[in-house]
Amino acid sequence: MSPKATELTKRLPVNGVSAARSASMMAKVASAKARNATKAALPFPLTPPPVPAGVEPREKKSTTGADYDTDWARSYPARLARVMLVQGLVRPAVKAIASPRVRGLDRLNGLEGPVIFAANHHSHVDTPLLLATIPEPRRHRLVIGAGADYFFANRLTAPLSALVIGAIPIERTKVTRKSADQAAALIDEGWSFLIFPEGGRSPDGWGQPFRGGAAYLATRCGVPVVPIHLDGTGRILRKGKSLPQRSVAVVTFGAPLHPAEGEDSRRFAARLEREVASLSDELYSGWYEARKHAHAGTTPPLQGPDTGAWRKAWTVGDRTPRRKRKATWPEL
Amino acid sequence: MPRPGFVLDVDRSTPPVLFHHGEGFRLEKLPADRSRIIYPAEPIEPIADPVGAIRHALANPLGDAAPLAAQLLAGMKLTICFDDISLPLPPMKRPDIRQMVIEAVLDLAAAAGVDDVHLIAALALHRRMTESELRHAVGDRVYEAFAPSGALYNHDAEDPDNLLEIGTTKHGEVVEINKRAAESDLLVYVNINLVSMDGGWKSTATGLSSYKSLKHHHNVKTMQASTSFMDRHKSELHHSNWRMGEVLKSSGVKIFQIETTMNNNVFGTDGPMSVLQKREWEWTARDRMTFLAMQKGLDRISPRMRRQAFQSWKAPHAMTSVQAGEVDAVHEVTTANVFRQHLVPVEGQTDILTMGLPYISPYNVNSILNPVLVMCLGLGYFFNLYRGKPPVREGGVLIMSHPTPWEFHPVHHPSYIDFFEQVLSETTDPLVLEEKFEKQFAEDEWYRHLYRTSYAYHGVHPFYMWYWGSHAMQHLGRVIIVGGEERSVRRLGFQPASTLQDAFEMASDVVGREPTITHLHNPPILMADVT
Amino acid sequence: MKALRFDRKPARYAAAIVAGKLAPGAGAGVGPLRLADVDPPELPGPDWLRIAPRLAGICGSDLGTIDGTSSRYFEPIVSFPFVPGHEVVADLLDPLDATDGSGPLAPDGTHRVVLEPVLGCAARSISPTCAACAAGDLGRCTNISFGHLSPGLQSGFCCETGGGWSTGMVAHRSQLHRVPDDMTDEAAVMVEPTACAVHAALAAGIAPGDTVVVLGAGTLGLLVLAAVRRYTQAGTVIVVAKHDAQRTLARSLGADVVVAPGEIRRAVRRSTGSMAIGDGDITRLTGGAACVLDCVGSAPSLDDSMAVTRPGGQITLVGMAGVTNLDLTGLWHRELRLVGAYAYGTETLVDGTSRRTFDLASELVMADDLARLVSATYPLSRYREAIAHAASAGGRGAVKVCFDLRTEKERTRL
Repeated sequence: MSPKATELTKRLPVNGVSAARSASMMAKVASAKARNATKAALPFPLTPPPVPAGVEPREKKSTTGADYDTDWARSYPARLARVMLVQGLVRPAVKAIASPRVRGLDRLNGLEGPVIFAANHHSHVDTPLLLATIPEPRRHRLVIGAGADYFFANRLTAPLSALVIGAIPIERTKVTRKSADQAAALIDEGWSFLIFPEGGRSPDGWGQPFRGGAAYLATRCGVPVVPIHLDGTGRILRKGKSLPQRSVAVVTFGAPLHPAEGEDSRRFAARLEREVASLSDELYSGWYEARKHAHAGTTPPLQGPDTGAWRKAWTVGDRTPRRKRKATWPEL
Repeated sequence: MPRPGFVLDVDRSTPPVLFHHGEGFRLEKLPADRSRIIYPAEPIEPIADPVGAIRHALANPLGDAAPLAAQLLAGMKLTICFDDISLPLPPMKRPDIRQMVIEAVLDLAAAAGVDDVHLIAALALHRRMTESELRHAVGDRVYEAFAPSGALYNHDAEDPDNLLEIGTTKHGEVVEINKRAAESDLLVYVNINLVSMDGGWKSTATGLSSYKSLKHHHNVKTMQASTSFMDRHKSELHHSNWRMGEVLKSSGVKIFQIETTMNNNVFGTDGPMSVLQKREWEWTARDRMTFLAMQKGLDRISPRMRRQAFQSWKAPHAMTSVQAGEVDAVHEVTTANVFRQHLVPVEGQTDILTMGLPYISPYNVNSILNPVLVMCLGLGYFFNLYRGKPPVREGGVLIMSHPTPWEFHPVHHPSYIDFFEQVLSETTDPLVLEEKFEKQFAEDEWYRHLYRTSYAYHGVHPFYMWYWGSHAMQHLGRVIIVGGEERSVRRLGFQPASTLQDAFEMASDVVGREPTITHLHNPPILMADVT
Repeated sequence: MKALRFDRKPARYAAAIVAGKLAPGAGAGVGPLRLADVDPPELPGPDWLRIAPRLAGICGSDLGTIDGTSSRYFEPIVSFPFVPGHEVVADLLDPLDATDGSGPLAPDGTHRVVLEPVLGCAARSISPTCAACAAGDLGRCTNISFGHLSPGLQSGFCCETGGGWSTGMVAHRSQLHRVPDDMTDEAAVMVEPTACAVHAALAAGIAPGDTVVVLGAGTLGLLVLAAVRRYTQAGTVIVVAKHDAQRTLARSLGADVVVAPGEIRRAVRRSTGSMAIGDGDITRLTGGAACVLDCVGSAPSLDDSMAVTRPGGQITLVGMAGVTNLDLTGLWHRELRLVGAYAYGTETLVDGTSRRTFDLASELVMADDLARLVSATYPLSRYREAIAHAASAGGRGAVKVCFDLRTEKERTRL
């Protein structure tokens, strides 16, 4: 028998090769033929060039993740588009889904220049909620630090994040010098900064420890930090869910904190966390009780009781903020 | 650099002057070469960091008093009293001064661990404050922390269980104040001094007292001897209150007084309403357009809407000083600060005094300025904004500009309606009506019920309004109201005129054909220092 | 003879209703009322006499008929065509035996009479008389519109008797009262309306010291006020008067407090010292006045009456109310009495004596000089102006407007 015939005989099903495998082998042969055919059809400029042997290919510059350049999103037309999106789309949507109640805005009276807003983080609704409630004009001169790996992952989400929420990429685990410099430069130019010091959304409804980024930036640029407490956003869209549920969110602004002389950023971050915890206490136990706790050092911490995971999850549901019930007379 | 107030002598090139006319404005020309206009000072710079200033004042008290933090101890009974809705005028933008002061005080109290805290609106016989008015004054945080448990409330001067008779002064004046306030370990009073009448011992002795106490100085004889009640050294009203203060001091009531003063920035130095505060010859083209547009706009809408528009204005006036500690020491500094903003030196008196009356008085916030209040605002407050002598001579004429509608707010001022219909139709002489009618109104059960449960001024309050003008009524020869509703003006015992020129004509048989005229330019407030 | 005659003409009556709504008293011009030359009325029976009116008043009920505002209740007890006018002082044209024994009177105009217009059993020649007429309460006659006379509740609503707005009419001898020489015509013409007022005041149930409210200060209101002051021992009397002239008259007739219509609730609250329901803007009083006499008879005045009468008190309806919408819950809950007062008859005074209302009225007219309430007189030819004046009397500072028949030429011919 000829060698070709021997090959063909080997491939016969009865000789032990499965039908699928033989089909795929046939397909591979067919596509190789086709490829050779196209290569022959389109010339080089229309198709990517092959790399010749013996040459080192050039390093491709990464343009996603933390390396994404967001300067274009702060140009005038982009800012205009963002203002219209925020006022026309984001705010009404937030009002409909979260019915936000804003408290403590008077604490920002007389505050001038850029500030850093630091809030606790429970859900993706947090950012649009803050965009809708941070008072003007800072609302429209705001830069948001967003997780580089999530929001700037690919060439679609990156421009969207930059345009709609005015985000700049920040690494979650360890902030590089580059991100820090970029953020500091923007603050010096007059941009206010919104950052979630926990680093990510809480998985179980209690807070995570505050990292030092906000504190570091405040100390470096000499601007105050406004602590914000968000309540109820976890009910609207928890980590893991994809459809939001209508509920009431409460946004409480705290008094601005200035870094003390010689205070290092870790201690400042701890002070910031205590402040946000005190704002939460204000909502749950009343303002005067919260002040008493703050002075006595007994403010209940954001991270919840020091117990195991299931008991922590159990007690999340126990807390309900004091809400005024309006008595209505029955319709006769 | 804010310019001080001054007196302008009117000549032929003086433009027409802005007169307040209730919920509206008029431009009137004053006769040249014999008129003068007293212009108020421009608003002085407010304190840049009010919260810091308050904390500083609490830590560095004046007079014989320890810093507040040292006086707050765990387990004590603390009562914080604050001025009611009659201050400031117009109501100020949030955050209110009282909110800032009370939060600073409560912060110190929280640090000390004080649990028993009551907050009382010291309103004497004024009407109770509504929830939204209290929220505006003390802020949402304080309201929600104390009101639901009943620790924040209005003073009730007709509650026999909550009044304590402290003693009697050497002139036989009974001193009776709110029981909780009297029996506290510390009474902190948060005051706003809009004019020099407020503050000092008047805060506690009047604000927290009852009719039994008030009638000793809220009467015709005392008011006629107060020339004027804006100058506490020449005011019998204040002498009486200070005597009552002596009794309070000697009875052991510990008072930590916190007084604040404000600038007179009522309509803002920039913004659409600022034209109303500017001197007429400094109006730019834009100001003139704004003024005309405002006038046309106001003409088109109904009186009710006009009233709503004006009453909802929140003024940007801000704190200019804060001092705390012992009542007498604090009040001296406060009065000096008030005079710093308000006093304008004026030489001599004239035959006629003119003024435009605004839409708001201390007694009609969120309400209607009825004819009795028009009289009180003009002959009481504005006439008495002087030190030394009134700017108009004895026997002279007062000309006021106000629409004076025959309208009363039935919920806020029920006893005023009866006063106007029944008492004034019989007599306008304050001594006669005090003698004949005051007791009946003060002891009427229905008025008492409305004062305690609804939002009504006490039954006797319209009488006090009338007494407030008794010094002016004694001093003046005639009172004319320009642009007022005829039958209301006549019922008040005054004369109606349709224009200012007619008013001058009508005044001519008292002051002659070529009288000299002083015009008090307002807004905003000023106080004439007449020599 | 000349007379103002009211014919049965439905179309004109409809026109009068419309005109009356536009301007008070305008129904006189377009309605069925006409100045006509008519035959003098025949004597309906042996005890009837002819009289020649001297002055005839215009009453509120006449105005109601002319402007078409009176209720249809009156239709069966009125006969067309009639000559209006029941407040009459007249000259006797036929002799009347004097009841005081001074002999028959001569028909030479020296004796004047006042007409008591109610037509009872005696006038209708019904025998035996009904119980009411026997007791002297002619207003409650149960034989109204029966007997030998056409239907007509009073002279001035009956086609056979004629009426005061003419130069000649007829009257039954029981209807006539002699006018003493010292009483002027104006005083005499006020006697009939005063009698209505006296009857109402004595029917109001006023106990000594009671607070009394009189709503309305037109003719009826002012006369009621005078009657209350003279014949009862009322305490404080509060009068509601709309116009300034009325206020002055009310004060001169003895009112303690005079107020404008919108102020009555507060005034009663002040006088009686009672509490009120309603936040400063009074809805009603929890206490109130003991007796309220409503001399206006409109829905708002009845509303005010119910709001200011104390529980167990009485509201006396003196003015002629028509068809009204009224919430009677207050009446039931506060145990109020709503009482009507019509015409006159015989009154029992506080001391137990029994007197005829007309006599009491004559005394009151002379004592308080009520003749001054006759504000204007008109000849028959100017009847339109007269009726317009009467309809807007309050606003024009007038009280009672009368027709003056003394100057009519035809009088002397008869």
